[in-house]
Amino acid sequence: MKISVREVGEAKVVEVDGEVDLGTSPALRRTLLATLLTAGKVALNLGAIRYIDSSGIATLIEVLNRSQHLKKEFVLFGLSPAVQEVFRLTHVMRIFQVFQTEQEALGIP
Amino acid sequence: MEDSPRLEIKFSVPSDPRYLCVVRGAVGTLASVIGWEESDCRAIALAVDEALTNVIRHAYHNRTDGLIQLECRESADGLEISLLDTGDAPDRSKICAREIGCDQPGGLGTHIIRQVMDKFSYEESPQGNRFVASKRLRKTT
Repeated sequence: MKISVREVGEAKVVEVDGEVDLGTSPALRRTLLATLLTAGKVALNLGAIRYIDSSGIATLIEVLNRSQHLKKEFVLFGLSPAVQEVFRLTHVMRIFQVFQTEQEALGIP
Repeated sequence: MEDSPRLEIKFSVPSDPRYLCVVRGAVGTLASVIGWEESDCRAIALAVDEALTNVIRHAYHNRTDGLIQLECRESADGLEISLLDTGDAPDRSKICAREIGCDQPGGLGTHIIRQVMDKFSYEESPQGNRFVASKRLRKTT
């Protein structure tokens, strides 16, 4: 799994490429929690995730809860079919703000 | 007349998350050969991954030197999965699926297994803790 972070104005965009499971989700968790401390809004691109399991979903829920505690925004965009399937199985779609594109996620007109 | 032989694959998997992708690949391919569609194959591989993850986290407490015996059998009407470990026995009072739409991270794995597989159970045996699950292939005509 590869993770990268870039700045877009006040926000940060996190890109993940690969498979998120029990072995790789701790690295994603560390990156997202650290990024949340340095940006008002974090947008996570899930378009290049080929696999995600419950540990990955649990990581996203934990980061969302942390963002709410810090009064920051954590949003998702570009969900790959693999991610959509697991979101559907776990019924978590409604708890996240989910957008199709990076522009929409960042609120860029 | 005897039944035709059916495919059975056996893995000895260390309780190390870096091997999960190997098992996912094999289980997904087996499900495809049995006759499930691609999205079902991914779901079945995910359910097996979740069962292995539960063993790594709760039976072996994230130690990577445990051993998990995984058996996947093509049955007359689908697929049977069996996992055997020698770690701590599962606390049945804590095996629970999360509530739908809940914003807490716990219980997701068991929820996924319940959603995907038709039956699953945990048994204690002299050999260790055994997780057994099955799913029927519903043929469309």
